[in-house]
Amino acid sequence: MLRLFALALMPGDSGQTLGLMRETLGSRAFQSAFSNTLAASGGSVFISTVLGGVLAFATGLLRLPGRALISFLALSPLLIPSQIMALAWIEMMGSGSFALGLFGLAPPPGASNPMYSGAGVAWLMGLEHMPLVFIAVRASLSAIPGDLVEAARIGGAGQGRIAARVIFPLTVPSLAAGAVLAFAAAIGNFGVPALLGIPGRFPVLTTLIYRQLNGFGPAVMGKVAVMALVLVLLAALALLLRQVVLRRLSVPLPPGAGFAGFDPGRGKWAFLAILWLVLLWLSILPIIALTTTALVPALGVPFGLETASLKNFDAAIANPAVRRAFANSFGLAGLAGFMSALVAIVLGWLSVTARNPFAKALSWLADAAFVVPGTVLALSMILVYLRPLPVIGVSIYGTALILLIAYLGRFLPMALRPVEASISATDPSLDEAARIAGAGVLRRIARIAGPGVLPAAIAGGLLIFMTAVNELTLSALLWSAGHETIGVQIFSMQYEGNSTGAAALSVMALALVGLLVLLTDRLGGRLPPGTLPWRSA
Amino acid sequence: MKSFRNAAIAIFAMASPVLAQPSGAITVYTSQPQEQMATVVEAFNADYPDVQVEIFRTGTTELMSKLQAEFAAGSTPADVLLIADAVAMTQLKNDDRLLAYADAPLDGIPADVVDADKTFFGTKLITTGIVYNTGMVDQAPTSWDDLRAPEVAGSLIMPSPLYSGAAVIHVGTVTQQPDLGWGFYEELAANGAVAGQGNGTVIEAVARGEKAYGIIIEYMAMNAKADGSPVDFVWPDQGVSAITQPVAIVKGTDNEEAAKAFVDWQLSKTAQEQSVAQGYFPIIEGVSPPEGYPALEALNIMPLDADKLMADDQANKEKFAELFGG
Repeated sequence: MLRLFALALMPGDSGQTLGLMRETLGSRAFQSAFSNTLAASGGSVFISTVLGGVLAFATGLLRLPGRALISFLALSPLLIPSQIMALAWIEMMGSGSFALGLFGLAPPPGASNPMYSGAGVAWLMGLEHMPLVFIAVRASLSAIPGDLVEAARIGGAGQGRIAARVIFPLTVPSLAAGAVLAFAAAIGNFGVPALLGIPGRFPVLTTLIYRQLNGFGPAVMGKVAVMALVLVLLAALALLLRQVVLRRLSVPLPPGAGFAGFDPGRGKWAFLAILWLVLLWLSILPIIALTTTALVPALGVPFGLETASLKNFDAAIANPAVRRAFANSFGLAGLAGFMSALVAIVLGWLSVTARNPFAKALSWLADAAFVVPGTVLALSMILVYLRPLPVIGVSIYGTALILLIAYLGRFLPMALRPVEASISATDPSLDEAARIAGAGVLRRIARIAGPGVLPAAIAGGLLIFMTAVNELTLSALLWSAGHETIGVQIFSMQYEGNSTGAAALSVMALALVGLLVLLTDRLGGRLPPGTLPWRSA
Repeated sequence: MKSFRNAAIAIFAMASPVLAQPSGAITVYTSQPQEQMATVVEAFNADYPDVQVEIFRTGTTELMSKLQAEFAAGSTPADVLLIADAVAMTQLKNDDRLLAYADAPLDGIPADVVDADKTFFGTKLITTGIVYNTGMVDQAPTSWDDLRAPEVAGSLIMPSPLYSGAAVIHVGTVTQQPDLGWGFYEELAANGAVAGQGNGTVIEAVARGEKAYGIIIEYMAMNAKADGSPVDFVWPDQGVSAITQPVAIVKGTDNEEAAKAFVDWQLSKTAQEQSVAQGYFPIIEGVSPPEGYPALEALNIMPLDADKLMADDQANKEKFAELFGG
C-alpha cells in the first residue's frame, strides 16, 4: 500500500508539489463523491446503531423464546454478501416484486426502484453493518456480571431501572465502538453503492475509484491513489475515535457468571410479534424475493406456479466454472478462517500481553486493511505481487495464493479484535506468574493465553469463513482463470444480464452457508460458551 | 536403463510435432458471457480434445485495464483474446502485443473484419439498437431520434463505455454522425436518461420494467425475448453501430500451436453456426442469421472512422462520464 500512497504524493501535470493531490481534491466529481460518502455512511451508521442496538438489547436483556434463532437472523446480514443483499432488495422493492405483490404493495410498472438512490444505499449499508453493532453490544451485555444485577435487585431496583441505570451505561462504550466500526465499514463499502448507487447516479468514493480504474486503466492510478488516501484517512480517524471511546468510557468489570437476562413477563407475546415482523421484513422477505427470481425462467416473467422452474439451477450446476467456484471459495475461506484464528492468537498476545510495539503497530495496520476499500487493497496487492517474488523467483499473481493472502489481510481483524478483547479481559497476573516461573513465550501463548482465548478465536475464524466464502471486492480484481470464486461468479452473471442465474447461484450459496451454520450450531453445545455469536447468552 | 528409454521416447515424441494434435492448456481472456463460453469450449474440445481451455471473463474495458497492468509487470497468463471490438485490439496491436498469424484460415471471412497484418480476426457481428418493454410501450421506437422525447429519455437506460466495449464503439459511432453527435447524448442526459454498467444492467432494468427503453446489443435483448422476458428489440432505421468480436493470439504465448487451433476453430463454420445458435449475426458467408434477425445485407451500419475514435477514446469516456456520472 505504501507504493500506492507514494503515487498519491506525486507532482501533477504542471509539476507543482502535491499537484496531483490538489487537482484530484479540487475536482467536482471527487467533491460530490466525498460528500455522498459522508452522507450515506452517516445515515447508515444511524440505521446500524438503532437496529443493532434494539435487537441486541431485546435478545440480550430478555429471555425470549427462540432467542438463538432471533440472534441468528439479526446476524444474517453478515453472512449474506452485499451484492446478494442488494440484488434481493432490488427484487423486493421493484415493480415486479412477488413478495410485495402479495400484500398489494408493489410499486407500479415504470416507477423507478426506490433502492436506486442515496437513501437506498444508506439503508442497505446500515442493514449490512448492523451486526457489527449487534455483536459489540451483545458481547458487552454478556460480560455484565450477574452479581451486579443481583445486587441492584436486592437494592430494590426494578427491571426497567436496572436496565436504564446499570446495564445501559455499561454498554454505551461498546455501542459507540460498534457504531464507529460500522462507520468505517460503510466508508469502504463497495458492493452496495456499486449496485444501487451507480444506476442511481449516486457516486461515492469507492465506486468513483472503481469506475475511474475500469474506464481509464492504470493511467489514472495516481488520481485513484489520492482518493484511496482520503478513504484511509477517514477510516483511520474513525478507528482513532474508537480507541478513545473504549479507553475513556469503558469500566473494568470483575469476572464471574454473566448476566443471563430478565424474564420478559406478560408483554412477551406482543413484543415477540413486533420483533418477528421486523425480522421478517429485514431478513426473510428479501430472501423470498431472491428465491422467486431464481425460479422464473426469464427476467420480467411474473412468478407463479405455472412459470416456476428449476432451469436456472440446472444451468448453474451444469456450468463447470460454478462447480469450481464452490470448491475454490470453500477452500480459500476455510484456510483464511483457520490461519487468521492462529495469527490472531499470537499477534493478539504479543500486542496486548507482551506489549510488543512492533506487534501493536501490526495490529493497527491490520485494521487499516479492513477499512481500506477492497478495490484499493487488491490494487496494491497487484502492484506488489505481480512481479516474481524476490527470493524464490516465482510470481504468485494468477494463482489462488494471492487471493488467500488478500483474504488474510482483509479479514484478520475479524478474529484479531475479539481475541484482543478477550486477552485484555483476562487477568495479566497469570501470565506474570508463568513468566516468573520461567515459561517461554510459545509456552505461555499455548498454555496460558491459548485456552482462554480459544472461543473468541474460533468464533472469529468462523465469522471469517462465512464472510470470505462469498467475498467479492478483492476476488473481482484478483481472480484468474481456474480460480474463480462464488462472489465473482454471481457478480459476472448479473453483469451479463443473467440475474435469474445469479439469483439461483446466490440461493445455493446461501443454502450451503446455512447448512454450515446448522452444523456448527450442532457442535455449539461442545464448544465453550460464547463461541458462536448468535448463541452468546 | 528404463529411465533412459523413457527419456528417449519423450524426446522422440517432442521431435515429431507434425503428427501430433495440439495439446496442453491455453488461457482465453474474453468478454463473451460465461455460460456461452462453457458451450464454446465444449464444442471446441470435440474437435481438439487435448487442449484444455481456461476462461477469464469480464467486460472489455476492465479486461483491457487488467491486461495493461499485467503487461506493465512483465507478462500475462493470457494466450488468446476474444474481446468485443477492433479498436481495443488495434490498441494492443500498436503496442506490439499481438502475434501475426499469416496462415489463418480465412475462407469466406470478409476482408473488412480482418486486420491487414493478420493479428486479429472478426468472429461475429454484434449490433447495438433499442430494446423496449412490451408491457409498458405501445408505440415501438423506430429511430434514435425517437429516444430524444422527454417521456422516452426519462425512462431510458444505456450501457456505459466505462465498462462495455460495445458501448465504446457505439458512443464513438453515434457522436461521429452529423445528425446525432454529442448533442444527442446531451439531450438524453438533460431529459433524464441514465447509464448503467454493461449491457447486462440494461436488459435487467428493461425486462424488470424499471425502465421502458434501453440501448443495448441485439443478442442480449433477443435471447431474453426468446426466454420469455417481456421485451422486444428494434434495429433503428438511422442505422446501428457494430462490433466484430475479434480473436487474437497474444505475442509470447507459451502454447502457440493450441492458440492457433483455437483461432482456426473460431473462424470455422462449426463455430459460426454455434454463434448463430447463441444469438449472433454470423460473419462467414453462407451462414444465415438467427431467426427473427434481419438479413445481413439489409442491415444499415452507421459509418465509423476508427482512427478518429481511437484518438478520441479517452476524451469520449470523459465526456460521457461528465454527462452521466462516474
